[in-house]
Amino acid sequence: MSSTDAPLDRSAVFEIVRANLADILEIDPATISEGQSFVDDLDADSLALIELVEALEEDLSERSVGFRIEDEDLVDLKTVRDAVDYVYGRVKGS
Amino acid sequence: MLPVAVDAMGGDRAPGDILAGAHAAAALGIPVVLVGPEGLADCRDLPLIHASEVIEMHDDAAQGVRRKKDSTLVRAAEAVRDGKASAMVSAGNTGATMASALFRMGRISGVTRPAIATPIPVPGDRPNIMLDAGANAEVQPDWLVQFAQMGAIYARHRFGIAAPTVGLLSIGEEPGKGDTLRKEAFELLSTASGIDFVGNVEGRDLMRKTADVIVTDGFTGNVALKTLEGGLKTLFHALFTAFGSSPEYKAAADALLPAMLPLLAEVSPDTYGGAVLLGVDGVCIISHGSSGETAMLNAIKLAEEMVQGGLVAEITAAFAG
Repeated sequence: MSSTDAPLDRSAVFEIVRANLADILEIDPATISEGQSFVDDLDADSLALIELVEALEEDLSERSVGFRIEDEDLVDLKTVRDAVDYVYGRVKGS
Repeated sequence: MLPVAVDAMGGDRAPGDILAGAHAAAALGIPVVLVGPEGLADCRDLPLIHASEVIEMHDDAAQGVRRKKDSTLVRAAEAVRDGKASAMVSAGNTGATMASALFRMGRISGVTRPAIATPIPVPGDRPNIMLDAGANAEVQPDWLVQFAQMGAIYARHRFGIAAPTVGLLSIGEEPGKGDTLRKEAFELLSTASGIDFVGNVEGRDLMRKTADVIVTDGFTGNVALKTLEGGLKTLFHALFTAFGSSPEYKAAADALLPAMLPLLAEVSPDTYGGAVLLGVDGVCIISHGSSGETAMLNAIKLAEEMVQGGLVAEITAAFAG
């Protein structure tokens, strides 16, 4: 990926979040939907969420230079939709 | 073999004793690369990967890794990930070492959580392996089955135990003993394939040959390990104080010393070099925070042994599919 790539739309961000999450939780990506809660529905604990954040930062930092998810914002990311909205807001504004 | 990446700034005695251990390992022919700040004194001819930050012992593990991207721990893990090093060794912040390895090297596919496997000395016999010694304070019952599988592979690699037996640390030998976690794990371990499960073991069995591999959650494992280490240290201190309390005792103790010293070495954490983080996609050795030259040398030797023996490849194969 390079910084000259076309901007990501929201559905592309969802696919990136879903693929990384499926990889970390070792589940079928098709079973992940936006409405699911990380903790209650996907059984993802705090370490898994940090793994997700690290993976997203690595995936997206080249496309959106210096892309970073702030630690203080993590507490607000309770569902897959929260994460997609957050990441999309960041890459859209960069 | 690619060099072993040594965190030059990790541990209470860093960098002096860490460098001394690294030089001793290099003198034995083990390739070593240091990870530390530019201008690190006494590197001599050892190569250095620059890292400007240190995750301190008091730093939060995950936040430390996220905020200190140019830390020695993160750079050491990246060196393994990027094929510049074959293994990493650190006597620094245990949680941050685990987080660095997990976030940078990644997990072996199929492993839910990595676990810290530490040798527990058994006087006169091969050590036992206990895991988890502190990576996961809270665990699920099925994680303990994975710990058992990884621990058995490690016991074969580390101590040549051909068919390791596995015990579940609990508060009684009977299957019904323990909390919900232990009872559910007991059922799973009893039916798991490829594990020679011998049932519950108790704290008194840690230093006996009741089971070669002892599985537990990281909270209990860490308490058990520190209790053993502290208890042994206190006991030996009391013994030597008693031996020196009169000239007669001292003379008798001097005569016993040749028998005592090997025993001391056998139960010393320095002898084993450190614990191994099992389940990450690379060799990661976590040494005691108080590691001196000997402990660091043994940790680097352990790293080399695990790389040469293909420990990670065997765990990967066991969890494939």
